[in-house]
Amino acid sequence: MLRKDLFRRPKNELEDYFKSSKKASAPDVPGEMCILCPKCKSTLFTSSLNENCRVCTKCGYHFRMNARQRVDFISDDDTFTELFSDMRSKNPIEFPNYTEKLKHARLESAQKEAVVCGTAKIGGFDCALFVMEPNFMMGSMGTVVGDKITLLFEYATEQSLPVIGFIVSGGARMQEGILSLMQMAKTSGAVKLHSDAGNLYIAVLTDPTTGGVTASFGMEADITLSEPNALIGFAGPRVIEQTIRQKLPSGFQRAEFLVEKGFVDSVVNRKDEKKLVSKLLSLHKKEDL
Amino acid sequence: MFSKILIANRGEIAVRIIRACKEMGISSVAVFSDADRDSLHVSLADESVCIGAASAKDSYLNMKAIISAAVATGAQAIHPGYGLLSENAEFAELCEKCSITFIGPSSDLIRKMGDKDAARKTMRAAGVPVVPGCDIIEDESTIGEKADEIGYPLLVKARAGGGGRGIRTVNSRKELKNAFQTASSEALSAFGDGAVYMEKYLSPVKHIEMQILCDKYGKVICLGERECSIQRKRQKLLEESPSPAVNSETRKKMMEAAQKAAHAVNYVNAGTIEFLMDKSGHFYFMEMNTRLQVEHPVTEMVTGIDLVKWQIRIASGVPLSYNQEDIKIDSCAIECRINAENPRENFRPCCGKISFLHVPGGPWVRFDTALYQGYEVPPFYDSMIGKLIVSAKTREEAIRKMQAALCELVIEGVEHNAELQMDILSDSEFKEGKYFTDFIEKRGYA
Repeated sequence: MLRKDLFRRPKNELEDYFKSSKKASAPDVPGEMCILCPKCKSTLFTSSLNENCRVCTKCGYHFRMNARQRVDFISDDDTFTELFSDMRSKNPIEFPNYTEKLKHARLESAQKEAVVCGTAKIGGFDCALFVMEPNFMMGSMGTVVGDKITLLFEYATEQSLPVIGFIVSGGARMQEGILSLMQMAKTSGAVKLHSDAGNLYIAVLTDPTTGGVTASFGMEADITLSEPNALIGFAGPRVIEQTIRQKLPSGFQRAEFLVEKGFVDSVVNRKDEKKLVSKLLSLHKKEDL
Repeated sequence: MFSKILIANRGEIAVRIIRACKEMGISSVAVFSDADRDSLHVSLADESVCIGAASAKDSYLNMKAIISAAVATGAQAIHPGYGLLSENAEFAELCEKCSITFIGPSSDLIRKMGDKDAARKTMRAAGVPVVPGCDIIEDESTIGEKADEIGYPLLVKARAGGGGRGIRTVNSRKELKNAFQTASSEALSAFGDGAVYMEKYLSPVKHIEMQILCDKYGKVICLGERECSIQRKRQKLLEESPSPAVNSETRKKMMEAAQKAAHAVNYVNAGTIEFLMDKSGHFYFMEMNTRLQVEHPVTEMVTGIDLVKWQIRIASGVPLSYNQEDIKIDSCAIECRINAENPRENFRPCCGKISFLHVPGGPWVRFDTALYQGYEVPPFYDSMIGKLIVSAKTREEAIRKMQAALCELVIEGVEHNAELQMDILSDSEFKEGKYFTDFIEKRGYA
């Protein structure tokens, strides 16, 4: 209605009666302040996303969480004690560029390895906890990851503790060749001994859980939970399609699909995870058996 | 000094701030919602950016869109006006993170004063009189005892409260539990914080507030009081300065208390300390508003100090050029809020096209508005469409001037409350200055 050029501009110079005033700087948004939701495309403030357990406030998309965030989120305040924290990967088969890759992964994730292990209380219940780190070579399993998880299960067996595992992984770490594949058998053995001693193991599969990790301790839990829409599988869908020459059903390898097929017991929203895990721990308390 | 400021508001206050920018040679950036495309503030500003859909939560409360607009236009500062994001600590913090100056106090201070319970404690510790009451109620089973100690009637108030929400009056113990629960749940849904406390309900009482201006170097000046006791449902309708009920001795004490309060929190920029004053002239700290007030023009009219320009100067680091003794108040000013609502139909808000507009003129008459002839008042926002302010040497002359100015104000196309304002001005209790916050109800105007 009103013309844009209806009003003239006054010929006033910038007020500067007070020489003490400094020239103001231009605005500058820190790079990490906002994040785009890949699902609904809304811009979210990183701070409010973190407050909301890294779940999109608009569409409920579950962003990846790093291991330390998960540990803080799931364990009761100040109850986490880290175990085996000094173990670091070497380059056992002298795979080209692996040493640099490891260095880079340590810098990127601020972790020494792709899994953080320890003991904690969840909802007041003691447990052994392992949380995988997506920013460390996508949580891939090399000898150290395998060792740490095996040691944790052995420790839990010794102490009669339930194990809670948050899993995110691209599978076995190919830079360690056959040695990484051997971790599947080693970890599985430890899970079995833990289970035979009558202990509980709950796995929470998060996006993505694939390859050798799915094919070992990822699928060996007494209770397998998953976050919504997490990709869970062994080989990727494209590889399978090319091999069997058939179109895969929609939702293939997603958490909800796997609940339907009986591979996963329940899909749980991140906000309800702690409550559910605490409840499961209370139901499976040793004294009650 | 800033060369460009973004105004994160709409309506008359956006226009008011853009005018200050023009005088100061600062480029202005207006932001607007889809419904405000044809608004005066959009045309008046040097640049304008659409920030979202009509609903305030998608536009004027959309922090991301506003920050993006500031970054895209290179605005170095944001003036939030009043309401909307003006007392939002999160928004102020975002501005701080993005190297944009928030024209107002720091996010920490907004947070501190936004917590009404913490503010009471801070003021009590600073020696400012506070309404007798209790701290946050942690255990519901103890409220009975605490309430008996305070005495009835009392108020249950939300820690995060504002705009009259999260407050309940309790006359006896049997109303207590219900009031506690409703105030708490209302506060929880409105502010996301259900914590409440109780304080003595003083009645009858006057609402008197002190305007302060503080620079970054610790200088605090108090620009006198405004009386805002003419209220309907805790929304102010008419304000005046100075208050006819405050004598020079009380004024001195109140100004000292206001300065004490400002020093106690190291306040910076314009702020208002609200007090309740009982019949015998005892006054108590109620809350501190960390922003520009709607009724700031009455203070501007009696002191000759442009509060908006000083807000901008202080934010850019300019020291106050006044001392307390330079503040001379030797006139009386009245402001009538003109709301697009029909007092005969229970103050139903009205919207529609302004078919005719005549703005009153003459010496010491000011009409702050974003209206123009042909403008369509949108239904999405606050119903206040203008503020008529007059000043004169005496209160009586100011009342006469306001009566004359209200007669001259013609707004056709929407219903408004100018006639109600004339009735208030001619009411004997108002004329005598012996009115309290229950005036509108008691005198049968609502």
